Amino acid sequence: MSGSIVLNWLASTPDFAVPYALAALGLIISERAGVLSLGAEGLMLVGALAGIGAQIVLGQPGVSLVLAMLAASAVSLLFAVMVIWLRVNQVIAGLALVFFCQGFTALVGSLAEWTNHATEGIGSMALWPLSLLPGVGRLFEQNAMVWLTLPIFVAVAWFFSRTSAGLRLRAVGENPQAADAAGIRVTTWRLAAVLAGSALVGLAGAYISVVSTKLWIAGMTGGRGWIAVGLVIFARWSPWKALVGALLFGCIEALIPQLAAAGVQLPQYFVMMTPYAVTLGVMVWVALARRGGDDEPGALGQPYVREERR
Amino acid sequence: MVDATLAAIAQPAQTDPEAAHRARRQPLARRRYALEIRQHMGWRRQALILAAALLAGLAISAAILVAAGVPADELANEFVMQTFFDGQNFRAVLFQAAPMILVGLAGSLAFRARFWNLGLEGQMVWGAIGATAVSMWQVGPEPLRLPLMFAAAIGCGLLWVLGPAWLKIRLGVNEIISTLMLNYMAANFLLHLVYGSWKDPKDNFPYSPQFRAFERLPELGAGVSSAILLAAVVALLAWWLVGVSRAGLYLRFVDASPRVAHANGVPVRRTIYGAVLLSGAMAGLAGFAVASGQEGRLTQAFYQGYGFSGILIAFLARNNPLAATVVALLVAALFVTGRSLQVFYQVPFSMVQLIQAIIVVCVASSDFFIRHRVRRVGGEQAQ
Repeated sequence: MSGSIVLNWLASTPDFAVPYALAALGLIISERAGVLSLGAEGLMLVGALAGIGAQIVLGQPGVSLVLAMLAASAVSLLFAVMVIWLRVNQVIAGLALVFFCQGFTALVGSLAEWTNHATEGIGSMALWPLSLLPGVGRLFEQNAMVWLTLPIFVAVAWFFSRTSAGLRLRAVGENPQAADAAGIRVTTWRLAAVLAGSALVGLAGAYISVVSTKLWIAGMTGGRGWIAVGLVIFARWSPWKALVGALLFGCIEALIPQLAAAGVQLPQYFVMMTPYAVTLGVMVWVALARRGGDDEPGALGQPYVREERR
Repeated sequence: MVDATLAAIAQPAQTDPEAAHRARRQPLARRRYALEIRQHMGWRRQALILAAALLAGLAISAAILVAAGVPADELANEFVMQTFFDGQNFRAVLFQAAPMILVGLAGSLAFRARFWNLGLEGQMVWGAIGATAVSMWQVGPEPLRLPLMFAAAIGCGLLWVLGPAWLKIRLGVNEIISTLMLNYMAANFLLHLVYGSWKDPKDNFPYSPQFRAFERLPELGAGVSSAILLAAVVALLAWWLVGVSRAGLYLRFVDASPRVAHANGVPVRRTIYGAVLLSGAMAGLAGFAVASGQEGRLTQAFYQGYGFSGILIAFLARNNPLAATVVALLVAALFVTGRSLQVFYQVPFSMVQLIQAIIVVCVASSDFFIRHRVRRVGGEQAQ
């Protein structure tokens, strides 16, 4: 491969990595509070549809992204009520949420005639002065959302490791009984974590529709939400490792069009399998490499009711 | 914050009348409710709650359909009269039900072993690929062709779930993700085949050449395919396996508590492997029912959410094989109705997914009232 292909490849990687990164970060927030959020695939679709809808109607990318976050949060409220108060099995509730969102977004998308309606996305933003560097300067011309992703990660990582609120949230996911005894409101924290996490998952979906492809097609997330769920396990619920994992997946996905452009003949559908195969491989690798300490939140997937003795 | 919680906990202990009066006059939002775990509820009340949840789900779905532009009276006519009381449509329901029953049984068997087999769709795809391969390569003499396709479908479905089962049992790899990833890989492999070397040379559409007559599940007469008979036989076998056989007893042990089961001498691993592999085999059979019973070739019919339907059927049926058969019939009716709504009112087919999800949400939420009792504490308790 020549140098320019490598450079093109690396320059297009962030665009593919951002949805994985944001979705995984959102999932980490909710799972750190003990709520297993399998509905990511559906919430990404909600974010994608709400984002593109707002973009078509209002034409303000910033507003569209915010509305997409709100929409995903609002839909996740349904999930939150089911798993936090009604204590529905979190796997079933998550699957039902995905199913609900797939049907709902396809219905609304076709009724509102937003399908295949191209919009203007957001332009690229050069990170001065790095973008002036000879050769590699192109790597620093990305859209604003790519640059915004980094502060979001810093903020969430700082929240978890440096604030008492972050400590409380983790305590709720680790041992809700003990947290409750210490005066932490378990349901409130779990609700807040689900809503905040879902907002980020929705933003990830909106990034795909508003920023990346600039149009809506039913089911356009194509399993990225599930890959993000796997990514969280790979990252052992740590934001920074999730960012690394997202970049890895972004690299792999960005490589495919580059190879095609370079005239490398690859069986198309096998190439399309790679993200899923890599996810599977990563899961196996994590299982093999796991030694001693387990970072999984202790109460992940378990409902909490104060009156129940375990 | 700690003080507030302590005060709230201490509240029920108040005994003096003045405090009780104060507690009674608390604004509604300040009143405290406590959840209690209900030990048991009579089956009549359980059935009542379940029926109410189902009705609520159907009512919400109907409201959405009306909002989407389907006239309300047409809706009732379409779903109740046309689907169940019209001979042709009822046959269509039976036609649609065969793979639904099989995939629902597949789901319930795996879930009984506490294995979230979300890869039912991938196993169906592989079942159909296996059956089609036998037809494409003309394996075996003609009278044996159908049994061979049957066996190939079972084998392929079983092999596709073997990997996740092994990874889960040996390495503790989360089966939810692994089976889902295998779904996407199977789907892409299917596309590779139908857009590639298996494409029908006659008209260049993305499906395999048509099966010959002896490669198709025969008709029973009156337009009913034998696929439904196959599904019924498998359902009876599953019922026997789960409810009567020793393996079924083991499964119940494992479902209740793998550790206790192990301590009691139940071969836990073998039981889990058995249930999961059978689940894959049944899903493969569902793929065979689609390919040989419905389409008559390898197509992309699997993008209608069969796998997810199987999971939801198993959940709604509480993993009971006979209940799964009934629920699968209802879901099949939903599919048939959905398809005609799609044709007549341009309602997208994904509406069927939406309705299934709404019903599952309602039924799952109604479980709360079966398992819990809500009791008010504070105010009134203090009297």
